[in-house]
Amino acid sequence: MTRDEVFVKLNEIFQDVFDDEDINVTETTTAADVDGWDSLEHINLLVAIERGFGIRFTMGETTGLKNVGEMVDKIMAHLG
Amino acid sequence: MSLVSAAFLAFVAITALIYYLVPGGARRWVLIAASLVFCASCGFYSLIFVLLAAVTTFIGGMLSGPSKSKGLRNAAAVITVVLNLGILCAVRYYGVIGLFAENLNKIFGATASTNTFMYYVVPVGMAFYTLQLIGYTLDCRWERTEPEKNFFRYLLFATYFPYFTSGPMNSYADLSVKLDGAKDAKFSLERLRDSAIRIAWGFFKKLVIADRIAVIVNSIYGNHEVYGGLYVFIGAAAFAIQLYADFSGCMDVVLGTSHLIGIEMPENFNSPFLAHTIREYWQRWHITLGGWLRDYLFYPMLRTSAFVKIGDVSKKLFGKKKGKKVPTYFGLIILWAAVGYWHGGLMKYVIGTGLLHCFYIILGELVEPISVKLRKTLHSEKMPYKIFQTARTFFLICLGHIFFRANNVPDAIEMYKAIFRPFTINGEWIASLGLDTGNLIVLLISFAVLVAVDIYKYREKQEEEPRLVLQTIASKPVVVAWAVFMLLAVAVLIFGMYGLGYDSGAFIYARI
Repeated sequence: MTRDEVFVKLNEIFQDVFDDEDINVTETTTAADVDGWDSLEHINLLVAIERGFGIRFTMGETTGLKNVGEMVDKIMAHLG
Repeated sequence: MSLVSAAFLAFVAITALIYYLVPGGARRWVLIAASLVFCASCGFYSLIFVLLAAVTTFIGGMLSGPSKSKGLRNAAAVITVVLNLGILCAVRYYGVIGLFAENLNKIFGATASTNTFMYYVVPVGMAFYTLQLIGYTLDCRWERTEPEKNFFRYLLFATYFPYFTSGPMNSYADLSVKLDGAKDAKFSLERLRDSAIRIAWGFFKKLVIADRIAVIVNSIYGNHEVYGGLYVFIGAAAFAIQLYADFSGCMDVVLGTSHLIGIEMPENFNSPFLAHTIREYWQRWHITLGGWLRDYLFYPMLRTSAFVKIGDVSKKLFGKKKGKKVPTYFGLIILWAAVGYWHGGLMKYVIGTGLLHCFYIILGELVEPISVKLRKTLHSEKMPYKIFQTARTFFLICLGHIFFRANNVPDAIEMYKAIFRPFTINGEWIASLGLDTGNLIVLLISFAVLVAVDIYKYREKQEEEPRLVLQTIASKPVVVAWAVFMLLAVAVLIFGMYGLGYDSGAFIYARI
């Protein structure tokens, strides 16, 4: 899967979790840019990403992510 | 050894003196020695149990690290957590006496009798260090931190004497770096001054406020069949203030002591009684415990397959938006039951500090659509509404404290019933609460100082750094800082509750 393909799929997951079809995530998107992205919704988002990509994050990977770009780095590392 | 005692001050002074006199590389050993002496001074069991927890979590962490096979890592983490939590729960429930043969007590000269309340025989600090050390093993398993190879470096993290009895909780990744930095800490008069003020402020809160207001609390809770109506609320509010002055005073002593050594600890309180909602209250009260439970219990639980399945089913049943909240509610119930149990192995704690708060939070979520409309109508952005919110939150917390402080659940229920009994307020009744006019005036003035400091520190957004009084004092001429210290010290010496038969050493949270 290329980085662009990961972004396309990830964007669909964001739109589904936050119930907003106008969301368009980029490398620099942060929690502050997405309405409703609080710590609880972050857990729902992680579960949806794990399911969508068929991967499993370690707990250490789920905290301290600076932006969506870093999230994509982690997803790509799991996809190999 | 109590944190509020002349012995502790002497212990800190001697430790700090040696600490700053020896070369930087030897400072770790000074702290380890001081910490072990301190743990031993808290009781034989305290030392034995913390060493047991330190050794098992150290080994557990090592075997949970990424270099091992997945099966071994999972097994090591599970065994370590179950073993340490099991010991904590067993000791919490039965007391050490229940676990060990009486003979063992005789050999080591332990004097705790079998019929005392269980917290008297629970080793000091156990509830805090057990969670903190379990956190380290889980961090290793979850690859948040590298397993430590040096046992003595880890032992200092496990036993570090300022926070040994009551926290605040730290993660290994954060604190180990700070402990390593101790070798470069520089002594300065500013450091001594800031530490002295912080410790004196802690003594003031404990000895002048908490131990004084405890007289009123004990009178009302001890004779709940006599006091009715408003007195029940006075008792509940007084206990809330006692608990806050007691626990936050303890934290001031801890943070001040650690600052003297050059190791900064996280704050545990941020003007909690000014919170507008119960949720916000818990983000301001015992902050590091909340953080621990969130990181090691709540979030991991929500990610388990069982909770994900609950989410799937509930989304089908209640629709996507409402359905996805159901697993969160289940998680909250388990989380709050754990919070309550952590405060003590009795139902009164599980209800008063756990499930009741869970009920408040879930109810708040469920009525949110109505609340949104109400807030618009009542101009929630204006001060009167905010004051109403703060008062309402404090009232709800006090309702929980009736369970926390009452002897047991039936007594707490009796007190709730007593709210509806007729009552009179006159001089005679106020005098029966146990404080004479002079003591009442001292209490009111010292409480007003506490409220003023909390209002000064308060920031509406709890994630913002509170305004630190110490920083403000430091920005004034140096004489101001020493005057503040002298004022606090004199107040403690004159107005501290000495000689009335109180055990000032018994910080409420040190017995948890």
